[in-house]
Amino acid sequence: MQLTGMLYGADLLKHVGFPTSDVLGPEATEEEIQALIERCGSIFVKPVFKGGVGKKGKAGLIGRAHNLKEALAEKQRLYFVEHRVGNITAQAQGVTFEGSIPAEFEVYFSISDSTVFRAPTITLTHMGGVAIEELDKKYVANIPFDPLTGLKAFVIANALEDIGAPQEIISPLVQHLPKLWELYHHYGMTVLELNPIRMTPGPAGRLLPVACDFKCQFDRDDPRATRLGLPASLFSAEYSDFETEINQLRTYQGQSDVFIINPKGTILAPTFGGGANSLVTQVLGDDAIISTDFGGNPPYAKMRAVAHICFSHYLEQANVLFVIGGKANNTDIYETFRAIADALREHFVEHGPTPVFVVIGRGGPKLVRGMGAFADTMDALGLPYAVFGFDSAISEVVNYAQRVNTWMQQGGREELAAHMRLEPEA
Amino acid sequence: MNKKGVAGFPYFVGIESLAQVATTDDTICVLNILGTESRQVTPVSHAYSGGNIVFGTSPGHKGEVLVTKAGSIPVFDSVREGLDAGHHFNTGVVYLPPSGVRDGVAELIRVNPELAKVVILTEKVSIHDAREIRAFAQSNGIDVFGGNCLGVADSWNQVRIGGALGGDHPEESLIKGSVAIYSNSGNFTTTIAQYLATGGWGTTTLISSGKDVYIHFAADEFANALANDDRSRAAVMYIEPGGYYEQNLNLTKPVVACVVGRWKSKLTRAVGHAGAMGGAGDNAESKERWLMEAFGVDAIFTPENPVASAKGAVVINIAHIPLALNKVAKLNGFAPDFAPTGNLALKPWLGNNQGLDLPPEVDLPIARAIAPYDLQIARLRQQIGAVIPRQSMRDSSGATRMDPATQITSVHGHSVLDLARLPFEVNMALALVHETIPEKDRALLHIAVAAQANLVGDPALAAADAAREAGTAPNLVMAAAACMVGPTRVERTLKAAERLIDLFGASGLRDPYDDSFDLGQIPVDDETRALFVGTDPESAAHARAMLAAVDASGSRSVFLAFVESLDGQVDQDGVQAALATTLAWGPLMRKRISRLTAATLPWYLRLYGVSIGSTFSAPRHRQGSLADIPEAELLERTTLAELAFLALTGKKPTDREARSLEMLMGLLVSNGPGAISAQGAKGAVSADGPQTPERVQINKAMVGFLTHTGFAHGGNGFEGMAFLLDRFAAVDVGDPTDPDHGLDLRAMAMAYAKDYKKQKALAKEVGASGPPALPGVHHPVFKGKAVNYDPREQFVASTMAERGEYNIFHDYFRELVQALFDVGASRYVFCINVDGMIAALLLALLWPDYQAGRITEHELETAAFTVFLLGRMMGAAAEIDDHLNRGRNMDTRTPASECKFVT
Repeated sequence: MQLTGMLYGADLLKHVGFPTSDVLGPEATEEEIQALIERCGSIFVKPVFKGGVGKKGKAGLIGRAHNLKEALAEKQRLYFVEHRVGNITAQAQGVTFEGSIPAEFEVYFSISDSTVFRAPTITLTHMGGVAIEELDKKYVANIPFDPLTGLKAFVIANALEDIGAPQEIISPLVQHLPKLWELYHHYGMTVLELNPIRMTPGPAGRLLPVACDFKCQFDRDDPRATRLGLPASLFSAEYSDFETEINQLRTYQGQSDVFIINPKGTILAPTFGGGANSLVTQVLGDDAIISTDFGGNPPYAKMRAVAHICFSHYLEQANVLFVIGGKANNTDIYETFRAIADALREHFVEHGPTPVFVVIGRGGPKLVRGMGAFADTMDALGLPYAVFGFDSAISEVVNYAQRVNTWMQQGGREELAAHMRLEPEA
Repeated sequence: MNKKGVAGFPYFVGIESLAQVATTDDTICVLNILGTESRQVTPVSHAYSGGNIVFGTSPGHKGEVLVTKAGSIPVFDSVREGLDAGHHFNTGVVYLPPSGVRDGVAELIRVNPELAKVVILTEKVSIHDAREIRAFAQSNGIDVFGGNCLGVADSWNQVRIGGALGGDHPEESLIKGSVAIYSNSGNFTTTIAQYLATGGWGTTTLISSGKDVYIHFAADEFANALANDDRSRAAVMYIEPGGYYEQNLNLTKPVVACVVGRWKSKLTRAVGHAGAMGGAGDNAESKERWLMEAFGVDAIFTPENPVASAKGAVVINIAHIPLALNKVAKLNGFAPDFAPTGNLALKPWLGNNQGLDLPPEVDLPIARAIAPYDLQIARLRQQIGAVIPRQSMRDSSGATRMDPATQITSVHGHSVLDLARLPFEVNMALALVHETIPEKDRALLHIAVAAQANLVGDPALAAADAAREAGTAPNLVMAAAACMVGPTRVERTLKAAERLIDLFGASGLRDPYDDSFDLGQIPVDDETRALFVGTDPESAAHARAMLAAVDASGSRSVFLAFVESLDGQVDQDGVQAALATTLAWGPLMRKRISRLTAATLPWYLRLYGVSIGSTFSAPRHRQGSLADIPEAELLERTTLAELAFLALTGKKPTDREARSLEMLMGLLVSNGPGAISAQGAKGAVSADGPQTPERVQINKAMVGFLTHTGFAHGGNGFEGMAFLLDRFAAVDVGDPTDPDHGLDLRAMAMAYAKDYKKQKALAKEVGASGPPALPGVHHPVFKGKAVNYDPREQFVASTMAERGEYNIFHDYFRELVQALFDVGASRYVFCINVDGMIAALLLALLWPDYQAGRITEHELETAAFTVFLLGRMMGAAAEIDDHLNRGRNMDTRTPASECKFVT
């Protein structure tokens, strides 16, 4: 759940009274844009991406305009622009028009939870406006602070002192930066980054920090984020239909975390436990359709619902249904296996049978009863299967599932379909 | 900070040695002790740890207790109440929901000055709360484990605190030894302990650290405590990406580090472990590098490339941990704690290829599971047949399914179109054993059913004849006969079948025709023998005839051989049980059917036979012959389709006629669970109570099906025939299967279509609803296109074309639908529906006898109804058996709220 850009960032900053640049959204009229240019001298035109998309400046995706004509030309260029960062391609959905802020200094500021200090930690430099990793470390302050007392003015003052920040920016930053802790801590954020904060001269010549770009990440397990009333659609681009359906079942009693690895994969692997998830997805790679963690002793009804959603989206394309986990500590194997098996049976009833080989690897409470219930279902459905206990290495079981997948890809699927008296697939 | 911690840390750490993590001196308070998860695992922890939990809290449950094998744990509303009651504890365990965790930890810290440790099991604690918990604990000098962890345990002390390391049998995995475990994964903490045991390594302290963003007792703390623990000679650390906890570790004892999660760099959000999201600097590769540098190795340890130093090794596959540990230990000069207890090779405990020919790399032999799972699996294997969960089966079926788009029904996955091409015997079996049976079984099913058809001297015949004489329709004639086949009449043969399942179930017999099977291993006592042999000479004679037919067919099964091997005269019940068990055995062993289905199969077979038999009038049943067919010929050389044809027409059919009848009956097997006939059968089962299956009267269920057929459902097949009789009354058809009939069907159809159009127009003028709908054409689903087809009709037509068969009535229907369109009586070309197809086929079968005056129009109607009943009888059997296996008592009733009162 990430948010970038000033379109919403400016609103969030206003919650805590932090100054921001003037921002107009995609719906701005030509008159409004013209007025903004007149007021600020020039404006920046930036594409709006849902979720967290960075490095726009480097990619040439920030336009500058000194008149309406230029602004409209940049709007046309950037409104639906595509941006690729790593493997992820995002498409813009509009632009913002942001008034330029004259400034002598640009400041980088962020708050996040550091695993080095095991405390909330600020990162601060007066050499902002560039990627923080590129700066000499002597100009960058990383300072942890006590969350119970919060981010206090003295923490900022000391940090700026340490990195030799110019005197004229210390007082305004000491006055304004602590406000950001309120936004960070009370609205469920895990990262808050302002880069740049432009130090612009105010009416009395005193510098005023103005946030000119915004990035934050919310903790999806923290309901405080909902206090901000942000539209859910802001984050919806991050989730497929499948993930959205599963997420509706997301509670702390039994995990239901999913991530689509390869929508064209052929191994459907409901995986139990974060550890198993790491291992299984690593070995399966792109053969896997989804990466999941369904551990945490999910109740029968939830497990059945989760399995039902998985099957309705992906069972038809799967060669292997691979139910895998280590030796469970508290997950009731009988309940979870019975739930998955019942969902499988239900799926066959609703959508007809599909040729799939079932591979299971698991240990834990009520193991044999669970295996028996699952095996009975597969026998009744006429599906071939192999069930491994915890005395087979989980990684070997994953390799076995891949071997089955290979066999299925090399004609086994057709053989199984014929054996199950199914029509040949198109 | 109020307390002084271990020296050398920039923050508070209280635990100096792993020996202090979970000790026998620790006393515990569990928050939300009666919560769903705690209720399951806390009793095991308490008992395993010798009763270390002093009390728990659960607001609103003061005065209750959590019962455990080590005594009951008292429950209070709050921590203060427990302390006020005189309890003391040094460790808090938190099972609260995520939103309550922070407050729970605050409560523990604030009200209990003796608190030293907190273990948080809850997952999805917000980072906001985690950072505050960290701060409370730090400022008050408390060690915290978790959240999102599975607690800590000590194999030497036999103590586990919080969570469920080792599952419900901790002693299985927590074996005393010399290796400490620190793991980001709770599940892998136990799994690694299990893997270590296979390599001969036991454990000291096991820490499930959790993998949230905040890990309070992390790798640094572990490394220090490991160094100070004399019991631990080495450690295994399981590490996932995310966080800098493992950077610059000061490890002074040998460690095998397993770093998993290279792939996770592709994730854009966490799955499972909230903190397992690595950035550029703290991804899996970085962590592998940190640890390789710490150990002074330049590669990952694999069995092929076993790179390790005395300081340790890095693996990326947890299965390689024991091997790497062996190598590291060897470099340090110490040996495993005990002899290896096994290996981690692939060992499937259960499996079924379902008869597929798998390549060797996939086709693994089933292995014996480790104790005590081997015994549990052995018990599981003793359970014969499928176990089917019960549910409400109102309007539902696990046997039949109609596709609303094509209107084609399937029975146990086989389309009725396929059934239309199969012999009567195969379909009868399919309904109950869920598979198409092989040739050998087909012969046995024939014998089992045909042997029951001759009802001479049987009250079923008297009942059927009485019903017939009373003028009832053929469904009630069959129903009267079925009423006489009650539980008492089949009691002995069902018991015999049960006994065969008991005796052979444990023998490992898979193939019922296995010639090499040694019957000597089957114990036979007098009670068993009495189920198969008797003194009734008539029954024995039937049994001999049946066995002779079996020999003639070459289908002698193990069960039949067993029955024959018994001392004494085998009787009909015994042979019938052996025949039925043979048919059921394969599907039963493959768990395609339940034991209940196999054990009740003789009852269905008898009902099949009696139903066919009841269609013959009483005089045709004689001692030793039915319809003048001697018993031997009936059992050996007369198919059931031939017998049915004989019942309908009084004569043996040609091959083509028998095939046509089989096609008709196959098409009629089922129309899904919504059909009235199916509802009748299901209602009858539901009313007897399938949850007590031994009380369900299968003959009554068959009567339920029969009474839910009638002149509108089943008997209406005659409407199409009557329509055709009218159309062809004035012409000489000759042989209706001869395409060279010389009739101008187009002209006949046009004439009727014009007349029909006139009737419609007239009806419209007078405001009437119009002439009655034409039977045999049009369908509410297959309509609206320029030319419409019912796929079932198309299937039959194509099958006939394949066989080079012709049907004049079908041809007439084709002309008629076109003519109706041509004259403007229909807006598009109607389809010929499946009823029209059936009427055409059936009329062609009966035409010669009807033309010759050997059967009347009434008998024609009876015959049409009977064909329906014989076909649908099989579908009904499938529904009855399905409902008996799956249904609940009275599950077909309609709730009062859904019922309507109509005035």
